[in-house]
Amino acid sequence: MRWEVFKQDAPSKPHQAVGSVHGADAEHALLNARHVFGRRPAAISMWVVRADRIYGRTAEELAAEAPRAPVASGNEGTYHVFRKASHRRSMTFVDHLTDVRAAGPSEALAVALAGAGAEPGLAWWVVDANDVHATDPDAAASWFEPAKDKTYKQQSQYGTVAAKRNEGAAG
Amino acid sequence: MTDGPATTPAAAADLLARFEARIAAGEKIEPGDWMPDEYRRQLIRMISQHAHSEVVGMLPEGAWITRAPSLRRKLVLIAKVQDEAGHGQYLYHAAETLGASRDDLVDALLTGKAKYSSVFNYPTLTWADVGMIGWLVDGAAIKNQLMLAQCSYGPYSRAMVRICSEETFHHKQGKEMVITYAQGTPAQRRMAQDALDRWWWPSVQMLGPHDSDSPNTPLLVRWGIKTKTNDEVRQEFIDEHVPELQEAGLRIPDPDMRFDAKTGHWVHGPIDWDEFWRVVKGDGPCNTERLAARNRAHADGAWVREALEAYAARHEIATARAAVEA
Repeated sequence: MRWEVFKQDAPSKPHQAVGSVHGADAEHALLNARHVFGRRPAAISMWVVRADRIYGRTAEELAAEAPRAPVASGNEGTYHVFRKASHRRSMTFVDHLTDVRAAGPSEALAVALAGAGAEPGLAWWVVDANDVHATDPDAAASWFEPAKDKTYKQQSQYGTVAAKRNEGAAG
Repeated sequence: MTDGPATTPAAAADLLARFEARIAAGEKIEPGDWMPDEYRRQLIRMISQHAHSEVVGMLPEGAWITRAPSLRRKLVLIAKVQDEAGHGQYLYHAAETLGASRDDLVDALLTGKAKYSSVFNYPTLTWADVGMIGWLVDGAAIKNQLMLAQCSYGPYSRAMVRICSEETFHHKQGKEMVITYAQGTPAQRRMAQDALDRWWWPSVQMLGPHDSDSPNTPLLVRWGIKTKTNDEVRQEFIDEHVPELQEAGLRIPDPDMRFDAKTGHWVHGPIDWDEFWRVVKGDGPCNTERLAARNRAHADGAWVREALEAYAARHEIATARAAVEA
């Protein structure tokens, strides 16, 4: 089963879609998400959501859809709405933008679009809050801190031709 | 999502024109957007080959983890090989956004149907090879991946941005390791030169056939999948690496290599494409060994996958029962 992974780098940052992993269940998916997307700093939280539970629309799809009243197609509840805002070079896709109460993902998207106003966005994802499986905040330190101490993973650890030449000159 | 909606030739031409205009304007194509079937097919082909290369690429270096000369070198190598595993995962994900199935992709690799980078079919004979792979093979890969980070397909581009930031560490640690050897004892210097002698040409070849023998390139460039040709990327690789290798006191094993002051580029001698195609088609020094190692790893992991499925199924039943009883 495929799960989309959302990673939060810092308390001030939103959860961002970083890619997907496979997992037999949510627990397995979270473990894989940490191995694949948490090898380098920084992360404080991760969410996984079954890929087939995500309601996604690109700007192109929205423009092609006939305007119609949003369908109350899901549960009445809270929906996380994610947006991709620019074509800038990036390693992440959509960012968590807002939460809305709605009777289904398409209604949630309509509410978010109305709220987004002048910045319509390039792609949108909507996720039922009940479908989110999150890392345990109490376990965050043991999950994410070790990556910070793995200094050998940073390129700044290694001297280059110029650095070696300078060392030689100094010695 | 596919060519489906275009019911007439005029409508199809219109869709294609809009698609190409978006790419020309520097927009990213995302899953869900209209794309030509050929764009999808070419991307799945390229991304899956790239993913397989990352996965098989763990093997030549992984063989040296147990024989690293110090704890520091061992930790560095483990971190690097772990990264390569992650890169394979990012890329399989990108291929899946195009509708490819992970099982099919992995099956194509294990049965030998899929291609992967020719360079990983060469053996790592000494510890210096580990450094030389970092400097040359990762160096060549970064040139290619920096180009692909500009790719018009969003998920592939994002995977490349993530990979490039990690690959830079591989390149630097390899360079540092080779420079250390090149400044070491006569035996260490001989090892570094021997590693360069064996890895130089496979690294030059891994950037792909000459443009004149690469029939897909014009279309790939037109659709922004590639933004440079194989020969352009190869030239960048050579221009950066030749002077640095010489600075380290090593000799490039190409008697024709010379600097052309007029163009500002290094000019290389003829590349042995017969060797390249032999290795790509399965007749390299280690093709059989690499495929056997992948198959063994996959088979050895079967019980883990089964256990995870059994655990998930039992957990699901228990959750459902608790809900009924509640």
